[in-house]
Amino acid sequence: MSRGCYLALCARPVQFEKANPVNCVFFDEANKQVFAVRSGGATGVVVKGLEDKNPISFRMEDKGEVKCIKFSLGNKILAVQRTSKSVDFLNFIPDSPQLEYTQECKTKNANILGFCWTSSTEIVFITDQGIEFYQVLPEKRTLKLVKNQNINVNWYMYCPESSVILLSTTVLGNVLQPFYFKGGTMSKLSKFEIELPAVPKSSKLSLSERDIAMATIYGQLYVLYLRHHSRTSNSTGAEVVLYHLPRESSCKKMHILKLNRTGKFALNVVDNLVVVHHQDTETSVIFDIKLKGEFDGTVTLHQLVLPARSIQPYQIPVAGPASVTNQSPVPCKLYSSSWIVFQPDIIISASEGYLWNLEVKLEPVVNLLPDKGKLMDFLLQRKECKMVILSVCSQMLSEPDRGTLAVIATVFDKLNHEYKKYLEAEQSYTMVVETGQSRGNPLLKRPVRTQAVIDQSDMYTHVLSVFTEKKEAPHKFTIAVLMEYIRSLNQFQIAVQHYLYELVIKTLVQHNLFYMLHQFLQYHVLSDSKPLACLLLSLESIYPPAHQLSLDMLKRLSTANDEIVEVLLSKHQVLAALRFIRGVGGHDSVSARKFLDAAKQADDNMLFYTIFRFFEQRNQRLRGNPNFTPGEHCEEHVTFFKQIFGEHALMKPTTF
Amino acid sequence: MAADVHKKKGWEVPNGSLVPTDGQPMERSESPTPGLVQGTEPGAGQEGGMFVHTRSYEDLTSPEDGDVASRSPEEGRGDQADQTSMAHISKDFSELSTQLTGMALDLEEEMRLSQENEMDLSPQTARRDSARSEKEDEDVTMEAWRMHQKHVFVLSEAGKPVYSRYGSEEALSSTMGVMMALVSFLEAEKNAIRSIHADGYKVVFVRRSPLVLVAMARTRQSEQEIAHELLYIYYQILSLVTWTQLNHIFQQKQNYDLRRLLAGSERITDNLLDLMARDPSFLMGAARSLPMAAGLRDTVSTCLQQAKAKSLVFSILLSRNQLVSLVRRKDQFLHPIDLHLLFNLISSSSSFREGEAWTPICLPKFNSSGFFHAHISYLEQDLCLLLVSTDREDFFTISDCKHRFQERLRKRGVSHALLEALRTPFYSVSQVGIPDLRHFIYKSKSSGLFTSPEIEAPYVSEEEKQRLLELYQYLHSRAHNSSRPLKNIYFTGPSENLLAWVTSAFELYMCYSPLGTKAAAVSAVNKLMKWIRREEDRLFILTPQTY
Amino acid sequence: MAAAAGAGQEKQLAPALLSFFIYNPKLGPREGEEEKKILFYHPNEVEKNEKIRNVGLCEAIVQFTRTFSPSKPAKSLHTQKNRQFFNEPEENFWMVMVVRNPVIEKYHKDGKPVIEYREEELLDKVYSSVLRQCYSMYKLFNGTFLKAIEDGGVRVLKERLEKFFHRYLQTLHLQSCDLLDVFCGISFFPLDKMTYLKIQSFINRMEESLNIVKYTAFLYNDQLIWSGLEQDDMRILYKYLTTSLFPRHIEPELAGRDSPIRAEMPGNLQHYGRFLTGPLNLNDPEAKCRFPKIFVNTDGTYEELHLIVYKAMSAAVCFMIDASMQPTLDFCRKLDSIVGPQLTVLASDICEQYNINKRISGSEKEPQFKFIYFNHMNLAEKSTIHMRKTPSVSLTSIHPDLMKILGDINSDFTRVDEDEEIIVKAMSDYWVVGKKSDQRELYVILNQKNANLIEVNEEVKKLCATQFNNIFFLD
Repeated sequence: MSRGCYLALCARPVQFEKANPVNCVFFDEANKQVFAVRSGGATGVVVKGLEDKNPISFRMEDKGEVKCIKFSLGNKILAVQRTSKSVDFLNFIPDSPQLEYTQECKTKNANILGFCWTSSTEIVFITDQGIEFYQVLPEKRTLKLVKNQNINVNWYMYCPESSVILLSTTVLGNVLQPFYFKGGTMSKLSKFEIELPAVPKSSKLSLSERDIAMATIYGQLYVLYLRHHSRTSNSTGAEVVLYHLPRESSCKKMHILKLNRTGKFALNVVDNLVVVHHQDTETSVIFDIKLKGEFDGTVTLHQLVLPARSIQPYQIPVAGPASVTNQSPVPCKLYSSSWIVFQPDIIISASEGYLWNLEVKLEPVVNLLPDKGKLMDFLLQRKECKMVILSVCSQMLSEPDRGTLAVIATVFDKLNHEYKKYLEAEQSYTMVVETGQSRGNPLLKRPVRTQAVIDQSDMYTHVLSVFTEKKEAPHKFTIAVLMEYIRSLNQFQIAVQHYLYELVIKTLVQHNLFYMLHQFLQYHVLSDSKPLACLLLSLESIYPPAHQLSLDMLKRLSTANDEIVEVLLSKHQVLAALRFIRGVGGHDSVSARKFLDAAKQADDNMLFYTIFRFFEQRNQRLRGNPNFTPGEHCEEHVTFFKQIFGEHALMKPTTF
Repeated sequence: MAADVHKKKGWEVPNGSLVPTDGQPMERSESPTPGLVQGTEPGAGQEGGMFVHTRSYEDLTSPEDGDVASRSPEEGRGDQADQTSMAHISKDFSELSTQLTGMALDLEEEMRLSQENEMDLSPQTARRDSARSEKEDEDVTMEAWRMHQKHVFVLSEAGKPVYSRYGSEEALSSTMGVMMALVSFLEAEKNAIRSIHADGYKVVFVRRSPLVLVAMARTRQSEQEIAHELLYIYYQILSLVTWTQLNHIFQQKQNYDLRRLLAGSERITDNLLDLMARDPSFLMGAARSLPMAAGLRDTVSTCLQQAKAKSLVFSILLSRNQLVSLVRRKDQFLHPIDLHLLFNLISSSSSFREGEAWTPICLPKFNSSGFFHAHISYLEQDLCLLLVSTDREDFFTISDCKHRFQERLRKRGVSHALLEALRTPFYSVSQVGIPDLRHFIYKSKSSGLFTSPEIEAPYVSEEEKQRLLELYQYLHSRAHNSSRPLKNIYFTGPSENLLAWVTSAFELYMCYSPLGTKAAAVSAVNKLMKWIRREEDRLFILTPQTY
Repeated sequence: MAAAAGAGQEKQLAPALLSFFIYNPKLGPREGEEEKKILFYHPNEVEKNEKIRNVGLCEAIVQFTRTFSPSKPAKSLHTQKNRQFFNEPEENFWMVMVVRNPVIEKYHKDGKPVIEYREEELLDKVYSSVLRQCYSMYKLFNGTFLKAIEDGGVRVLKERLEKFFHRYLQTLHLQSCDLLDVFCGISFFPLDKMTYLKIQSFINRMEESLNIVKYTAFLYNDQLIWSGLEQDDMRILYKYLTTSLFPRHIEPELAGRDSPIRAEMPGNLQHYGRFLTGPLNLNDPEAKCRFPKIFVNTDGTYEELHLIVYKAMSAAVCFMIDASMQPTLDFCRKLDSIVGPQLTVLASDICEQYNINKRISGSEKEPQFKFIYFNHMNLAEKSTIHMRKTPSVSLTSIHPDLMKILGDINSDFTRVDEDEEIIVKAMSDYWVVGKKSDQRELYVILNQKNANLIEVNEEVKKLCATQFNNIFFLD
């Protein structure tokens, strides 16, 4: 059953005292804090967050049953609701008045449904008749009403990430009114209506908050509506409807996630995936709205990405000291009815006193998604994808499940598409910075390099070099793969790094496919670079034409004149070297000695004479005297010249 | 011989087409003396040259039968020579041989002897002088023998060896047999073998009835040039026996062993071959004149001209194969080939250095049917006087001419200056003042003379000197290719750059540094031409004399 | 064939094949059985003794030259009337080609014709290469001589030789042979990197899905783009494709623009692919799937392959599969269905790219020069002198004498392997430039008659800068 479980509860959950008659447990979505309030706070309140290790604990006077309790952002002020009319406040700011103070809701005979902090000192009361936006003045121990709005409210929902409050209005409750809070202001966004599966006969509340969730997916705020299966509608099962809720324009229905099943569901959003838990089958499914679905003109229908799987079995670690008495850890009941699910990825089991983050495991996905292209699309959107992707690549290159070249090509293309996008962002960023336009546009920020960016060195070190090392694959395939990758890079106009070319060349050389190598170079498939030219030179002994090829390359580089001269001299082609350097106009500066040495080594007297005479004439031209200066260190050559051709053969100074 | 008909034609085409196209955009673009027409180029003599005019070596290939005689204005003489009885010839010949081998042999007896002991070749080999003996010993199956730059073989139509440059003819008789077989096989099919080509060498056949000449060359020379050299060998042989006599002998005796006649002359042939590998004169088909002040040369020529005699045809003063002066009969022209043969004869034997030699010689291009009589004597170290007479009885008259000449020189007080000139037989290319210029050959077509500086560094070793000449041969063969002649050649090589420029008036071959640019080369040519023009009266014989 | 040449009464006869024979001295060593030596003789009509005599002559020539160089015997024999070329491709197997020198028939005033042989017209290197190619071509389709003897003795060899050369000799067009025959190079199709990579991955995928394919070659417009074969095998295969197979399937698109005609695509309208070898109509269940066999790596692994040539528009692919597998009709259908559509797309991509590049490379105005380029390293060949080489003749745009001068320069180059440059001015005042740099050779003919050397040099520099700026060329 654990096979291919791609969902898991986090290893280190937040543990708290389980709920019981004397101990009430509250969860604050804004700060992701769990409040354990014992006997109304008199015997203590313990606050545990996800991040903070050491819990906050304090006591407070028991003024009756606590309905709701939340810290303002940064744990500055504690708000406690005990009655339906008022909320009590308690400062936690060091050296500020410690006495509680209270705020009643403005609207007469309205009941407070709840409240939420929108900042460290701003709070919103939601009453059945509207919302009231206050600013808290802790030192004055008073609140100041900033704004309020009258409207009948069935229930409300708060999304801290986007600080948007959603109000369910009208009798049916399916008209939702979002408010947006920012920097002490409250703005009303355009309201929208959730289409109910079937028009209810009686006019009673038909949209429950249990079926609505808010979450940001791929940076956008969505309202997720779990639309249950209804006999009347011919849908094959329940579905999740995603309404896109942009801050400016109006809300729009965009995606429908087909669940193909009925029963009790719960939603989470993890790593931009919509997770739908199904209690009856004790399994979950995931959806990725970035993956291709069928678009019917207005909305996109999505099927499950992967077969339904249960969350990975979870062992409850035996609590603290008891662990000494080695009891084997207790398996945790998954999908228990005592579970409460909060957005985006929180699962709380009040009965057992645990709070978990839900996590997506990528390794299992690999085997559940046979279509490598789809798999890449999926993985590339995930946070922790790099290593998985790389392993997928190596896997598809080696037996048993070696991919076809076509598949390999698509994978490479997808990777490089992502890679290219990043490079472009990088480039335009640096361009902006260099041109100094960076000042006065705060939006500009250095593009983040996500794990999805798999560059050439990643590919080289983790996949290709390893792949070429173990020579299990036929060399034809090996080369085909390398060429495929190079092709893909070129297709996205990404400059190929020379080590890739070297890999190609080495492979070709290993199987002495020199003629192929020659053709690649002929069509400049392996782009020019000095390192490559040198590599070619080193091949000359086994493949003579490499010499010509590397010379051509050096020539095309047009920045390698010195190298060219060296190469020619090393081959005793002294004349060629001299003609070349003269061609590029460097013959007045070159070292006479270097050339004379080469000519001497060539052990060709005619050549030596020619070179010697050439430099004599250069001396004559530059200094009006054919003799070499001591600085040129050509004494031995002068003697050598005399000894072969005689003293008289030396050039006479032409004085006139 | 269909072949010859063809060849002459083949070679005339370019020359024919040369004339109109010359004179002409190319010269205008590069020549310092626009539109040079023959006779006006630097080095062109005033009243024509002293030679039968020769363009390339096409003259070589014309058959040596009667029509030569008719071409040479010496009709009568030709007939006369023909009339000269066998006895005469043989006597002349014995004298010649005396000169050459210091050994008398009588032709009649010779032929009889050969009839008796057909197979026995020992007498000859015994008589060989030591100079060749080491060549004789060479084992013809050895790599060393094979690797010689150039082999030359001469054989009779019977397949009998006549001459081999390396290795003894005996050892090679079977090989020569094969050669003859090949020749006759193709002739049987009304065809003619020309050459065989393989990697690194060619074998060239030249057919001159009653002889067959074959060369195996590893040089860069073209087939034409090798054939050219073989013909020189052929003429060399004619110069010793005359064409008429040669044919006569083989008509008499089909499988006659010609070596009996030529015994001792091998050295001359060897020398000729060595000379051709060293001296561009043969390639140029022209003579090199010893540079000297025009005044001095004129005086010497006048002296020579005044020391005439009725039977004298040519008086030639030379030094180390360079021409000092040449005086001829008004109506007589000497062919450069004949001059070369004379030069070769002289340079091939030290025996002329003491005393006076009186030797019959045939000048095949002049008249291939009869003998002249050459009086050869050294006036000084390296200064050789050659007096060619028609009358073999005239030894004393001619000898007297020599004394008269020397007398005049003394009177005119030029002998000292002459010696001076002899001391500097070559000039250095540096005099031209073109730094990248290494060497050149300039030939004035109308005068049949050419000039070129001393071969200096970097061409110090013998191999390098030879290589340089081979390069010239290469340019020459391309420029004079029988079916695709060229006007200009610029060659950029690993060790030097070369330039060839051939017009109807002159030929210029230039060797300069491989780092010399084209632009430099072009200006160098102009500068060089100007220089030659300036120096022409020193470098050439502008006023040749006649009796 | 006679070509009217020059003035009035002259009539020039082009060089012609007199005879062509193959013999092995070891087969008839003893007196009287000389005939056994002869494996093939053209023309066959020749009387037996003459055959024997001519073979004898060749043996004699070869033997004779061994006295000067045992290891390097004669390559050719020049005679007044003809030239004979010798080649020993396999030990003791000699091929001899006898070519008649061009003849000029003149008429005397008296009206009787005079025959004149032009002895300097034929270029040894050209015809020696032609002879070598004869062997390579035979070997491509038949394997080595020795192989034939192993397969079935002299009889089989004789049969194969007869079968092959009987037809092949008729395709030798000796009058139109030139420098290109010496190079026997490969013309590569100029292509941008990206399109080339597309082709690469196309080939790789095809080899993957048609897994019995051993080698692949890809051509466009009769120019090579990719070859999986080794150089020397590709070189002769290329010659076969471009001078024999393709011309036999001439179609409108050869004109350059890819304008396929529906009519010529039996059945499928999805793509323009079709087999140049093998089945003509795949829908015909009786269709024969017989492909020509070729032999490669004969001096190594000695592989025998089926040659499948498949073409869509101007793009042609050669799939070579091991001869041990007999390609079935199903295989052909599969190939057609996989390769056809993709190749069609690819072909039009290439065409598009090519036109773009052409536009970039700019104006097509006639330059002052024509040139031939050859690189010994990869056999790359480029000629603006030749219009496309048809099976019958290679149409050159310049005077034959100039072509011969190119040949002369080329043979001068082969004498040393250092870099050289030769610039000559012909009697016709044309300038001809030969350049040898490393393993590359460039020949240029300029028609600016009264240009001087410096101008000529500049022109060549310009040419190198425009045409060859991407390679290292010494100047």
